Amino acid sequence: MSLPAGEARPALSNTYRWSMPANWWIRKRHYFFYMLREFTALPLAVWLLWFLVEIKRAGDGPAAYAPHGSALFVAFSVVCLAFALYHSITFLSLAGVIIHVKFLGRPVPSRLIVLSQFGLWAAASILIGFALIWFGR
Amino acid sequence: MTEASRLAHRPALAHLFWWFMFAQGGVIAAVLIPVHILVQGILGPLGWVNVVDRHYDTWINLLGNPIVKLYLLVLIAVPFFHFAHRVRYLLVDLGVPAARSTPAQVVFYGAAVLVTLITIWVLLTTAPISLG
Repeated sequence: MSLPAGEARPALSNTYRWSMPANWWIRKRHYFFYMLREFTALPLAVWLLWFLVEIKRAGDGPAAYAPHGSALFVAFSVVCLAFALYHSITFLSLAGVIIHVKFLGRPVPSRLIVLSQFGLWAAASILIGFALIWFGR
Repeated sequence: MTEASRLAHRPALAHLFWWFMFAQGGVIAAVLIPVHILVQGILGPLGWVNVVDRHYDTWINLLGNPIVKLYLLVLIAVPFFHFAHRVRYLLVDLGVPAARSTPAQVVFYGAAVLVTLITIWVLLTTAPISLG
């Protein structure tokens, strides 16, 4: 939309420009954990790319194949697991806020919805963990 | 209806798509990633259990299965659409408002698309598809 004729734009120097101080997120525990939640994306992305490298390595043939196994990789995985669990717990807990369903005309309590999400997570983890070990025999 | 209001009332299909991918990526990452890190990143390398990717034979057999290929594509590629959004807003929160701009969106979501294409390429070129 254009401004009416004759009305000048306010000079930029007169506008109040407020910016967050760079360290706002370490001032409060709550803010810190909010940022940590956003940060979880980075280690998980790196771990997945490492995993993709391992899939690619399988194409090198039986003699050249070497899966990740260094102490450094295990340590990195431990750190990533902590971030992954933090993402899972915070993200699946959100379902109670987002999902609203009714059963027999009554709203399903959000705790039950969150519980179902965690149940799904547990079931999927057991199934996949079992498959990864079963096919490794 | 003016041109501006017609545009304003147009369904935001792009928003719908990227938000859908963000949500799906979040669910996939939450439900599937921890067990892979635990079993393949910790228990397997430590030798506590026999894991499929520790040995070439078992790993290549599994990788040939088309259902496994599809699963790995979902597991690896879809979370990147979630990560792209998360990292973009991490930058915004750290004082980089430019991460909200359209070029930044093209770069971040473009990276997620690139990871998807690379994953497809890796999965199709590593092990020949077999149903055995």
